[in-house]
Amino acid sequence: MSRYILRRLIQAVPLLIGILIINFVLIHVAPGDPIYLLAGDAGDEKYYAAMRARFGLDQPLAMQLYLYLVNAAQGQFGYSYAYDRPVFEIIFARLPATLLLTGSALVLSTLVAVWLGVVAARRAHSAADHTIAVVTLLFYGMPAFWLGQLLVIVFAIWLDWFPVQGMTDVRHSYQGLEYASDVLRHLALPMTTLGLLHLALVTRLTRMGMREQLDEDYVRTAHAKGLPVARVVNYHALRNALLPVVTTVGTQIGTLFTGAVLTEIIFAWPGIGRLLYDATLARDYPLLMAIFLFVAVSVVVVNLVTDLTYAFLDPRVRFA
Amino acid sequence: MKRVFLLFSLLLLSLMLIACSPATPAAPTSAPVNNTPFATAAGAVVPSSTSAPTPTAAATAKRGGTVVVGVTSDPGQLNPGLTTAGGTHAVADNMFNGLLQFNDKLEPQPSLAETWTVSTDGKTYTFNLAKGVTWHDGKPFTSADVKFTFEQILLQFHSRTKAGLENVLDGIDTPNENTVVFRFKQPYAPLLRRLDVVEAAILPKHLYDGTDIQKNAANTAPIGTGPYKFKEYIKGDHITLVRNENYFKKGLPLLDTVIFKIIPNSTAAAQALEKGEVDYITGVNGPDIARLQANKDVVLVKAPAGPGGSFCIDTLIFNMRKPPFDKLEARQAFAYGINRQQILEQVQFNQGRIATGPIASTMSWAYNPNVMKYAFDQVKAAELLDKAGLAKGADGKRLKVVFVHATGFAKTAEVVRDNMAQLGVEVELATLEVNAANERMFTKNDFDIGIGSYCNGPDPEIGVTRAYVSSNIKVGVPFSNGAAYSNKQVDDLFIQAASTIDTAQRAKLYAQIQEILVKDVPYWWTIETELFRAQRKEVHDLRIWAGDLLERAWTERT
Amino acid sequence: MQADTVIARRRTADGRRRAFLIRLPSTVSHLPSTAWVGIALVVLLALVAAFASQIAPGNPFRSVAPPLQPPSTAHWLGSDDLGREVFSELVHGARVSLFVGLAVALTSTVVGIVIGGVAGFFGGWIDDALMRLTEFFQVLPRFFLAIIVTAFFGGNIVNIVLLLGFTFWTGTARLLRAQVLSLRAREFVVAARAVGVKELTILARHVFPNALPPVLVNGALQVGGAILTEAGLSFLGLGDRNQISWGYMLNNAQPFIRSAWWMSVFPGVALLITVVAVNLVGDGLNEAMNPRYSVASRRSPVVRSHPLISI
Repeated sequence: MSRYILRRLIQAVPLLIGILIINFVLIHVAPGDPIYLLAGDAGDEKYYAAMRARFGLDQPLAMQLYLYLVNAAQGQFGYSYAYDRPVFEIIFARLPATLLLTGSALVLSTLVAVWLGVVAARRAHSAADHTIAVVTLLFYGMPAFWLGQLLVIVFAIWLDWFPVQGMTDVRHSYQGLEYASDVLRHLALPMTTLGLLHLALVTRLTRMGMREQLDEDYVRTAHAKGLPVARVVNYHALRNALLPVVTTVGTQIGTLFTGAVLTEIIFAWPGIGRLLYDATLARDYPLLMAIFLFVAVSVVVVNLVTDLTYAFLDPRVRFA
Repeated sequence: MKRVFLLFSLLLLSLMLIACSPATPAAPTSAPVNNTPFATAAGAVVPSSTSAPTPTAAATAKRGGTVVVGVTSDPGQLNPGLTTAGGTHAVADNMFNGLLQFNDKLEPQPSLAETWTVSTDGKTYTFNLAKGVTWHDGKPFTSADVKFTFEQILLQFHSRTKAGLENVLDGIDTPNENTVVFRFKQPYAPLLRRLDVVEAAILPKHLYDGTDIQKNAANTAPIGTGPYKFKEYIKGDHITLVRNENYFKKGLPLLDTVIFKIIPNSTAAAQALEKGEVDYITGVNGPDIARLQANKDVVLVKAPAGPGGSFCIDTLIFNMRKPPFDKLEARQAFAYGINRQQILEQVQFNQGRIATGPIASTMSWAYNPNVMKYAFDQVKAAELLDKAGLAKGADGKRLKVVFVHATGFAKTAEVVRDNMAQLGVEVELATLEVNAANERMFTKNDFDIGIGSYCNGPDPEIGVTRAYVSSNIKVGVPFSNGAAYSNKQVDDLFIQAASTIDTAQRAKLYAQIQEILVKDVPYWWTIETELFRAQRKEVHDLRIWAGDLLERAWTERT
Repeated sequence: MQADTVIARRRTADGRRRAFLIRLPSTVSHLPSTAWVGIALVVLLALVAAFASQIAPGNPFRSVAPPLQPPSTAHWLGSDDLGREVFSELVHGARVSLFVGLAVALTSTVVGIVIGGVAGFFGGWIDDALMRLTEFFQVLPRFFLAIIVTAFFGGNIVNIVLLLGFTFWTGTARLLRAQVLSLRAREFVVAARAVGVKELTILARHVFPNALPPVLVNGALQVGGAILTEAGLSFLGLGDRNQISWGYMLNNAQPFIRSAWWMSVFPGVALLITVVAVNLVGDGLNEAMNPRYSVASRRSPVVRSHPLISI
């Protein structure tokens, strides 16, 4: 087991180096020059040249890449151009907001989706089944930004239940429970937006898994033996049906770190997605590369954890 | 009552100072009445209720309370001397001071400098600094801070100040703790307009001397002399400032706390304002204007200038290096063929007015209204295109041009595309993120038409000259002479204007420049933008035209 | 990743596969009614796209009305902020949006088939290398990449299609590889090899036709994902402004969402209908082709690269 984990981690190393390189080249060969953002728009050639030298942008690309990799190997990922702080300091400052938003959305939508999936599977091809399928699909098919804005108009403006933007009410510095409930009020709408988008996938998966299980011999046997239907469904079929759901949700956990760019922008949520978008517009190369790397590492780790969990739940899977 | 008296006497004092200072350029009295910066009657659609709510009597001002300002971007670092980026200045300028500050007519007023004199040859400026000023950490402010700031920070990193002063400044002397002398190689008129907190915030020498200035920890937790002190910066979310109890302007500031809330989506920002989650926003989407106007709790305000740029004109850049725009007729044809009224109404939602030339009408002392006019006239445009040898082909098409623009100009570009399509000109849009667009226009010169917001700045020498003189046809310098316009007469006139001290004399030179440029149309000036900002009605005395937005602000909600 | 392989191997016990073509009639007859609704909608959309110039003649970018007019008899779906007809934009937008969806699905399916097929069939170090490549693309944050590339290189429609096409393929590749692995060991393939049929012929005649159906279903589902991603990029102002797509319309409509509902509702609903329709078709096919062993166990590799996840 630990050898398996070790091997997986070692395999990930070239992967990550590859990502660093692709990333670096892509960002640096792209048209546009960060120097104008660094140096303002009224400088002259001499000034721009001096600024390029200061940020190491005057070196040949291969040299810059070499320096970047050497520094990266020593754990130095550089300073953000825009923030003048070490890049990972900035990423970690934004991480909790993203984890809170995407994490809560994922948990909530998974719970609802599993429930919907079970209902749909038990009444396959009924009106309820079709309704669930179409409604979840409708939410899936709605662009995130549109759905988010509609929710704002209805629940924040017309009904005035929730705030329009942000993660806290900056006018008050709440503490303890009050703080928690303040964050919760701000969280409601962006979380719902993201959660509704995620609903369709897990619902569909659960339904399919359940249908498969309900068809299995052991369920029929249980029926024949006169066990209560609910018990069979809840304790036997559901547990098996959830195996593929675990994989799915696992991969979606990988996206926890990517955040939700569009939702974060709509709701002024201070997370990683927005950080990346800002860094793109600001041509903050070191920060951009660090975000990419961070997300890639997170995905690798989460995939590994997911596979381990799967193996744990399904004894038939062996570590090859 | 005591405070009121103090304020009043301060006001009197500053008035006297202005009256005494010989170098304050007064606006020529002949300027058209409508062009005062604060003309409240706006475009056709906007009713007059949009004037700034500036209760004249400071008597009602309350002390205390919190104001929340909605800003669109995370500032990153908070050192206003390092950058010209609007995001940084919107926040940081409230923690610092310049030697001078602007009143609402954009005339220089005392700030860290109490008085100043200019030598008769226009080469030497002497500033007497305010006494008893301290930094937020308690250390005294002296002339050494000023000298250090200019030499080590502004002239190294602040691109506008660097570009403006570097080649003309001879040296800075500090004969004593309270006196700073600027010596120039030649008479230099625009200096007094370059010394506000946006162009030249004064930074503490004792924190920056001998350090790597760009990585100094004070950049994210600044120590200034300004009305507010830094409290916290939650990245991506908000920045909190608190009152500077020892502010050197007695009785100021009035607010306990100021919070800058970052809201990237301007629709969301407007909604937050309506709900009272924020008190002031700097950008209002056109479509939101009507709704905000109807809201009794919200007041729309506008100013021709603001931190980061003033008197801005959305300007098309014709690439004169190659056909078709090497021909005057082709450029004029586009000038006649583009419907600027449509842009003003449908893109800008009447936030601004149709431009007439390179200098904004609101910069009344330098503006010349008597230039060639290009009223929207597609028949004339077609004639000019024919004359330029761009006749219609068998398919009804004349030519295809590539219009490079940053994403923010997409709507304007679409109007141009539609207007010109009706003349048989196909305009292909290249919509790029702003850096990529700048590179394509100013480094690769790979465009037929470009566009940018050219800001005049507080003086034409700061923001106008750069786009038209042939010495500034440069590769890789944004907002340089991107059209590659070259006219010896214009070059000479600009040089003359920069070294003339007398305002009336300068105005004449600029008037002549405007006549020539408008006839030649190397650029096409579309809209003088005058963007709305919006605030809650309980907030008063925001200095929306200046960097130090909140120095005098107060709120009824305490 | 190993877990998936095991799942795939587990399925080799299933002995009820027949060639795709033989199964086609039964597939059609097994299609659930929802799939027929989906098919009808897709056909309708395709017709609108094909005859856009006949349905709404003239240049959709042309300003023909006063701005921001609500729907009326003169302008059926109203006009936008620059006085263009929403109806005309919507009809022409169908063309671009469907093009983006289909082109991306096609590109990613082809790339996925080639990589997954080669990896599964040849195995060994080729398999290893290709699977590392696949993992590489899986780990890349897709929507982030799309933002950066369209922002830096310009968001013209070809860039967007290529970018999405070349990042959406990983699920398809894994799916096909798993299918091929399971089929390789099957009796009819072993038999063919035993009688001396060439490897490539086996691949083309026996393996691909059997492995293809779930891949095609996967491709159908990607159409919706691609259209939504393009809309997301447009929302950020990174789309192509020379082409009218529904994403472009939604981007224009964004500041008017409260003052001119018709600008956002029509393209939004059109987009919604399209995504729902292709998903209904995909799901229906899935169920019909494999009524008992439905997607559940096969789903994991698909899901792992589901195009929408990072939005």
